[in-house]
Amino acid sequence: MADLPLGERTVAAGAATDARPPGGPRRRSRLGGAFFVLPGIVWLGAFFLVPLAAILIVSLGTNDATGHIDLSVLNLRNYVQAIRPEYVPAFANSLRYAALTTVLSILIGYPIAYWISRYGGRRKVLLLILVMLPFWTSYLIRTYAWMIILRDNGVLNSMLQAVGLTSEPIALLNTDFSVVLGMTYGFLPFAILPLYVSIDRLDENLVQAARDLYASGRSAFLHVTLPLTMPGIIAAALLTFIPAIGDYVTPDLLGGAQTTTIAKVVQVIFTSGRDWPYGSALGFLLMVVTLGGTLLALRSLRRETFAA
Amino acid sequence: MTHEHDGSSIDLERRLVQVMAENRLTRRQLLERMGALGIAAALAPIVAACAQAGLTSPSPSSSAAGSGPTSSATAVPSASAAASASPSAAASVAAASPPTPEKDLIVYNWDSYIGENTIAQFEDKYGIKVKYVRFTDAVTQMASLRKDGKGGGYDVSYPASTEIPGLVRDGVIQPLHREWIPNIANLGADWQNPSYDPNNQNSVPNYWWTTGFTWDPAKIPADLTSWDALWDPAYSGKIGMLDDVQECFAAASFKLGLPINSTDDAELDQALALLEQQKPLLRKYTDDDIGDMTSGQLWISHAWSGDWVQMTYDNPAIKYVIPSEGAIRGSDTMVITSGAQHPIAANLWIDFNLDARISAANSNWTGYLGPNAAAMETINPALLADPNLNPSAEMYAKLTELIQLEGANLDKYTQRWNALRA
Amino acid sequence: MRTGRNRWLTGFAALTYAFLFAPIVILIIFSFNVSRRNFVWLGFTTDWYPKLFANQDLIDALGITLQVAVIAVIGSTILGSLLGLGLARLHFRGSGATETLLLLPMVTPEIIMGISLLIFFSQLFAQNGSLAQISIAHITFCISYVAVTVRARAVNLDPRLEEAARDLGASATGAFWHVTLPLIAPAVAAGAMLAFALSFDDLVITSFNAGVDSTTLPIFIYSSLKFGVTPQINAISTIIVAVVAVVLLIAWRLGAFGGADTTVVAEPDAV
Repeated sequence: MADLPLGERTVAAGAATDARPPGGPRRRSRLGGAFFVLPGIVWLGAFFLVPLAAILIVSLGTNDATGHIDLSVLNLRNYVQAIRPEYVPAFANSLRYAALTTVLSILIGYPIAYWISRYGGRRKVLLLILVMLPFWTSYLIRTYAWMIILRDNGVLNSMLQAVGLTSEPIALLNTDFSVVLGMTYGFLPFAILPLYVSIDRLDENLVQAARDLYASGRSAFLHVTLPLTMPGIIAAALLTFIPAIGDYVTPDLLGGAQTTTIAKVVQVIFTSGRDWPYGSALGFLLMVVTLGGTLLALRSLRRETFAA
Repeated sequence: MTHEHDGSSIDLERRLVQVMAENRLTRRQLLERMGALGIAAALAPIVAACAQAGLTSPSPSSSAAGSGPTSSATAVPSASAAASASPSAAASVAAASPPTPEKDLIVYNWDSYIGENTIAQFEDKYGIKVKYVRFTDAVTQMASLRKDGKGGGYDVSYPASTEIPGLVRDGVIQPLHREWIPNIANLGADWQNPSYDPNNQNSVPNYWWTTGFTWDPAKIPADLTSWDALWDPAYSGKIGMLDDVQECFAAASFKLGLPINSTDDAELDQALALLEQQKPLLRKYTDDDIGDMTSGQLWISHAWSGDWVQMTYDNPAIKYVIPSEGAIRGSDTMVITSGAQHPIAANLWIDFNLDARISAANSNWTGYLGPNAAAMETINPALLADPNLNPSAEMYAKLTELIQLEGANLDKYTQRWNALRA
Repeated sequence: MRTGRNRWLTGFAALTYAFLFAPIVILIIFSFNVSRRNFVWLGFTTDWYPKLFANQDLIDALGITLQVAVIAVIGSTILGSLLGLGLARLHFRGSGATETLLLLPMVTPEIIMGISLLIFFSQLFAQNGSLAQISIAHITFCISYVAVTVRARAVNLDPRLEEAARDLGASATGAFWHVTLPLIAPAVAAGAMLAFALSFDDLVITSFNAGVDSTTLPIFIYSSLKFGVTPQINAISTIIVAVVAVVLLIAWRLGAFGGADTTVVAEPDAV
């Protein structure tokens, strides 16, 4: 139980590289690859790639007077409109919330992952299960729990008033604070797991050797532990950033008038608006930002992996 | 505002409805046999006329929220008398019995928009299982009903009356089977032939309301009368606006003295600028004005009149005003979608909700009054007496209806709204 | 030095666990609240639990959610396991591209997948949301997670095991069925559990593709959250938390979290 084979997969999969057994597989005597992968490829092609392409095509179309999508003349009008200054706040909110959530998740997740790995002993798995338990319950339900806590007359404000810290309720719900808190809470387990895996894989002897050479435990941590666990940090960053930047549920339930994210705008256009081409353009831009961030992270991950 | 929502009165009401329902049923069975002899057909006009005569005639001075029904309701009859003398019972004489209804019904409506026990009573009476699906805002409602051009899979919905001509033209809703809706005779005379749907061929009027604002006097001890209050920096962070594009633009237009329902770009831009100016003061654009006001999240909120009544159940102190600059009035309808899978059950649902006692129970619970003249006798007199819910003719003159936005005009609104919300 | 850090870290860890669990605990406490609006504590009651089982809409939503989850698990486990095995067993022309294809759904924001399927079904097939549509959507977003889980296990299999079976006279198919499959079975089970959890909790992709007949539990809860909630929602949440906790703890006691199965607990690392 002590050595979980999670490490390779997390990092390898995150890096889109592969950890194969040395020498390569022997093809000769086993069932062939096409038989295995073809159904899955066809399915993902039909229900993932084609729909993605559909977003791109529709985003180049226009919405005619009756609300139907007109694809006869493709143009970039929707993109020009999408980058107008009115939409800057929503894009900025999305980026800000995702960045804050990512940083907070790592700042909170790293120490707890480190603690479980180094001091968990035989209870490591139980401690991990406990970290994951909230994750396994519905995201909505956890968000709702924060609604109860953060309301003006909610649990937290009642406690603050009871101990005399404040006399008036503080506005906690419907603010940037509540949105970032909700997202961090929601995505924290996504950060803890890869961090745990990379820390747990780390050879304690390396740190011990560094301890012998360096003056302090602090610099041993900064010069050995941190760089060696960087793949885990980057994987954790990706796993919180991607869901956070596309999140509209948290801003919708915990946010207020000023916390609209670009995903929320897209959601409104698709559920209640008629201008799907325009919504597709916004969605496509969101996709580009996300993929851009992912590729950037993966590149630095590869660099880190080689450096290590 | 007192309100009957203690257990005993509900039980009594329920029992009365049950008795009535049973009576009606046997009467209907009798009429089936009479119908076979052609007697019912001959009787129908006479009975309808009697039913009409039995109604209080609405004041001619106002078409929607007349003061007539108010005065009639002040003479509160005893509950049992109302039940036995209910014109709806008489009107059902004209009923042609519908075929066996389907087993299910899907109703697409606002949250908290029918009586607390309406669904249970309908299910008990007809053995039809009701699925009540809620939407958050009118734009979403219309998008869902129109997404396949025939109602999006729902059987019954409650669009605003201004939407009816468009829905009929585009074939989204189907004509009513009026012979299965005898209770339609319960509608006040002014509502038998509304301009948006002559003779109620495709829809039945349901409720009317005003859109003003509410506030909690415990937090804001002032006598507010102007839309300015929703722009008052003193309440910054405690103000809510309805998550509704047309209502928000109307509020801004009233404050600016601009024409309501404008489709002029310059005027809309002015309203948008005012809303942009308001946004930093807002806590949220709310889908749940009732919950946000009663929980104290909001101190003051743009609100619909009936929602205010529901707020008072939790906090009786909350106030509501129709602002002096003018306000929106509206009415809505019950319709059956053209793609309805359960059309017979849908017609029965509409008939059931037009029943005098059910209609009154709906109004009493939701706080929304309606055009059901027969129901006036059992509607809570306090609701009828409230000028905010049942405005005087003078106040009524200051109210404006929203228009149905389509095509390019709708885009003008939604593009500005999306930009505001982003 | 070490004990000092330990004490600080342990304190921080305790705080983190408190942060993770406090909301769940408060949620459970408020499921016993008398208040209908559930804003302030008004007294203790267990009434909401029986009311829960009388709420037909909620029971229906639960039924639909389970139905979709079962379809999603079966479909994605078959397709994903084959994909994971194929990728682990051999390099073939295009295996790099296949890996990228496998990763893309996991790095695509849910809302993008939701609207892409919405456009796909409505524009190409004139479909406006149905049980079938969300079932297809769920299979699609679960495949990658199953595939990555299975591949991780299959990559570590010793190819000589299957070769030995061949040497002993087994056919290629027989060797696969009797040797490889049992060896990767734990990973397949882990992938299936993961798919179930993902499907059961999905709101975003589902809400864009749901029709009138497909109100799942997350959609039901979401709309309840939008319109003033009752402690019924707390009650259903409490039951879900309890079931999950019991299942995870039993699995732990049975030692299920060995090897690749840890993925069950460690879902996010699948990316």
